[in-house]
Amino acid sequence: MHRFVRPQLMLRDSKQPLLPRAGHLCTNHKSVVSSVRGYVVLPPTSDEEEKAMLHRMMRVDHAGEYGANRIYAGQMAVLGRTQISPLIQEMWDQEKQHLRKFNEILAENRVRPTLLLPLWNIAGFALGAGSALLGKEGAMACTVAVEESISEHYNSQIRTLMEKDPEKYTELLQLIKEFRDDEMEHHDTGLEHDAESVNLNYCHDRMSCMNYNIKIQILNNSNN
Amino acid sequence: MIFGIKEKSIILTNFDVLFAIATNIHVRLKTGFVLQVAVQGTVSLQCSNVRRGFHRAALLRLASDSKSDTSVPPPSYHEVHTAGESSSSSAQGESSEDAQPNTSFQDQSGEHGEDYETEEQLQARILTAALEFVPQHGWTVEAIAAAAETLGLSSASTGMFNNGAGDLVLHFVAQCNAQLAETLAEQNNQVQLGQAEAKKTAEFLKDAVETRLRMLIPYIDTWPQAMSILLLPHNIPDSLKHLSTMVDDIWYYAGDRSTDVNWYTRRAALTGIYNTTELVMVQDSSPDFEETWAFLDNRIKDVVNMANTAKQVQATGEAVVQGLMGAAITLKNLTGMNQRR
Repeated sequence: MHRFVRPQLMLRDSKQPLLPRAGHLCTNHKSVVSSVRGYVVLPPTSDEEEKAMLHRMMRVDHAGEYGANRIYAGQMAVLGRTQISPLIQEMWDQEKQHLRKFNEILAENRVRPTLLLPLWNIAGFALGAGSALLGKEGAMACTVAVEESISEHYNSQIRTLMEKDPEKYTELLQLIKEFRDDEMEHHDTGLEHDAESVNLNYCHDRMSCMNYNIKIQILNNSNN
Repeated sequence: MIFGIKEKSIILTNFDVLFAIATNIHVRLKTGFVLQVAVQGTVSLQCSNVRRGFHRAALLRLASDSKSDTSVPPPSYHEVHTAGESSSSSAQGESSEDAQPNTSFQDQSGEHGEDYETEEQLQARILTAALEFVPQHGWTVEAIAAAAETLGLSSASTGMFNNGAGDLVLHFVAQCNAQLAETLAEQNNQVQLGQAEAKKTAEFLKDAVETRLRMLIPYIDTWPQAMSILLLPHNIPDSLKHLSTMVDDIWYYAGDRSTDVNWYTRRAALTGIYNTTELVMVQDSSPDFEETWAFLDNRIKDVVNMANTAKQVQATGEAVVQGLMGAAITLKNLTGMNQRR
C-alpha cells in the first residue's frame, strides 16, 4: 500500500512543491508553481483556507475510496468462489482505480492522509464480509447502501465546489463527477442483482448507510 | 499572561502608556491591562527615574521618527483589514484607550508606494537583525531592542512583538526551515538534472538532519534557552507546526509518497530522531560535534533496522500462515474430511 519513490520520479514536479507551504513566519514561500504536466487536479492556490478546504476534501474522498476498497475485499473474501464473484471483482477493480487516482493526488499535493485509515481498513472489511455472509443478496444490499452514501457525498462536494467557483475547479469537478457516475453505476448494478429481495434489506440498508455517513462525518469533523 | 504583564511593566509605566498611545506605538493593551499596568507602574520599584526618562525620550524619538519615516508605519490599521494577515501584528494598535489625538486610520489606499514595506516585513527585518545580538543578550527582548536601534528605530519598537523572545525564536526556526527546504529543493534539482547521484534514504535523512542542526551551531550556547522558550505553552502550537512542516519537507524530498499509516510512522520516527539529536547536540563538546553526528547515524540505523525487521516479521508471518493452511488441508485430505459424501 505504501509507495516509496526515488527522487527521480519527481521530474513531474518542477522545482518546488505544487502548493505553497504553510507555517512559515517569514513569508517568502508564497510562490505558486504550475506543474510540468499540464493537467493539475487541484488548482494551485495561495489562500490558506481554500487550501485547507481542498486538502480536507481530498482526505475524506481518499478515505472513502479506501473504505470502499476494503468493503469489496471483504465481500470477495466470502463470496470469492461463487457465481457473483466476477461482478464483485469488476466493481472492486473500479474502486481500486479510484483509490489509485486519489493516492496520486494526495502524493502530488502533499495532502496528509487520515489517521483513521487502519480503522476504516478493519471496519470496511468487516462490513463487506459480514454482509456477504448474508448471501449474495446481502452483499448487493450492502453495495447499494454504500454506493448511495458515496454518491450523496460526492454530490454535496460537487455542490460546494460549484457554489464557490466552477471555473477554477473544472478539473476537480470533472474528476468527482466521473467518480460519482461510477459509483451510481455500482449502485444500479447492485439493484439489478436482487438487492431488494432480502427481507433484512431495510435494516441492513440503513445500517450500511449509517455506517458510511458516520464515517464521512467523523472524517469531516476530526481530520481537519 | 501574568508573565506578559510583568514584562511590559518593566518597559511601560503609567505615563509611558499614555505616551505610547499618543505616539502611535504598536502596543496591544486591552482596557483591563492598561489599568493593571498603570497600577503596577505606580507601585513598581523596578523603574528608576532614569529609565523612565530614557523611555520617554525613546518614545518621543519614535514620535518624530514616525512623522518623517514612512517605513515605520504609524499603526497600519489598514493592514488589519487586509485579508490573510495572520501574524500577531494583525491586531496591532487596537488599544481601547480613547485618548488618541493624532491617530487617523490609514485608509485602504494610503501609502502604497512600491517601496512600501509591510509590517510583517519590517518585523522580519528586525528579527533577522536581532539574531546577531543573540550571543550577547540571549534570546530576549534586549536582543530585539538592540537590533531595532541598529536599524535606526527606537528600542521601544519591541512593543511590536507581543510574544517577545518567542517571536525571535520562532522567526529563527522558520528561517532555518526555509533555508533547509531551499537546500533540499536545490539538491533535488541536481539529481533530476543528472548532475548528482540520488542518495539512499538513510543517508539522505542523515544529511538533511545534519544540515538543519548545523544551522544551530552559531547559537548553540544559548540554544537551551531557545528550546525552553519554544516549550512555553503559548508557543507550543507554533513550534509544533514548524517541526511538523520541517519533517514533512525532509520526507517529501527523501521521496516518501505514502498515503497510508506509514505517512505518520515515518514522520513520527524522524521527529523523534531530530529531537533527541538536538538534545545531544546541546551538551556535546566534541570537536565539530562529532559525537552528535555519530549519535544521529546510530539512531537512523536503528529506525532502518526496525523497518527491515518489521518487513521480515510480516513476511515470516505470512509464510507461517500459509504453512499452517497447507498442513490443515493435508490433514483434511488424509482423514478424508475433504471428500463429499
